[in-house]
Amino acid sequence: MATAKDLGASNTVDNTVVGPSILISGRLTGDEDLTVRGRVEGELTLSRTLIVEPSGVVKANVAVRNAIVSGVVVGNINATESVELTREGRMVGDIRAPRVIIVDGASFRGRVDMGDVEPGRLPAERPVVARPTTTTRPTIRPGATPPRPPVPPARPAPTPPPAPRAAPAPTVVSRPVGKPLPPPPPPAPVAPRLPEPRPAATEQAGGANAPTPMLMGAGAKKKVVVKKKTR
Amino acid sequence: MANTVIGSSIVIDGEISGDEDLVIQGTVKGKISLKESLFVEGSGVVEADIETQNVDIAGRVTGNIVASDKVELKTDCRVVGDIKAPRILIADGASFKGNVDMDMKER
Repeated sequence: MATAKDLGASNTVDNTVVGPSILISGRLTGDEDLTVRGRVEGELTLSRTLIVEPSGVVKANVAVRNAIVSGVVVGNINATESVELTREGRMVGDIRAPRVIIVDGASFRGRVDMGDVEPGRLPAERPVVARPTTTTRPTIRPGATPPRPPVPPARPAPTPPPAPRAAPAPTVVSRPVGKPLPPPPPPAPVAPRLPEPRPAATEQAGGANAPTPMLMGAGAKKKVVVKKKTR
Repeated sequence: MANTVIGSSIVIDGEISGDEDLVIQGTVKGKISLKESLFVEGSGVVEADIETQNVDIAGRVTGNIVASDKVELKTDCRVVGDIKAPRILIADGASFKGNVDMDMKER
């Protein structure tokens, strides 16, 4: 952009503009952006971007880094980065560039060569990876990450109740408790099914009442499972 | 207002013609014919025959200049060639080598 600086001192304009009534015929080369609103004929070589505006007409072989065509181009474009034909762009000639963009409404006749096609479909994998994490959320989705805190409270709240229930349950359910005693072993195996939550729940429950926790644990398990999902 | 600007890194080898002002900060070789004003700025280099209404030169020009109105050579400009115009201004510090012709009748 040293050029821009140099220009800045003498003029307010940064880049090169070919006005609508201007005709340049011959060879044009440069290291800055070029905007064509008039006509350029011959040969055009830039190390930067060529912009052909709707009023612009380029009848030339063009070698640039980027080309944005909203006007008329007759000739071949060879771009090191990209060529874009906008809705108003009309072109006849061959395009050779790694990225070629032709939007609806553009008019083009010629060949396109994007070189070696490399389908870098990494994005597909990314979504998949994202999904796993998101998968847990589906239910939570509406809340997204931020909402999580609020949502978990709601569900966790239920779970906490279970704990209380567990406590009351022991007293109330104490009757059935008789059977609970045997169950204790199963709970242990069950614990593996529900990795962390259960242990905690069972432990807490166990802390309150060893026997009752078992039954509670079963109920808690389901609820706990929900917790994990939420988490 | 100058619609057309030839930036300092631009090199044009050929012919420029048009009906609007032209500012040259880069290099133009060949021929320039305008119906308006030509500005050759400090960084501008012109090696061309020029035919316009007005010419304002602060850079370098090599070639013959024909203007229908005025030619102005500013300080620090360097001009080599013949100038033909009804009004010709040469500022202090300008460098010029060539013929000057202000004869209106001839035009």
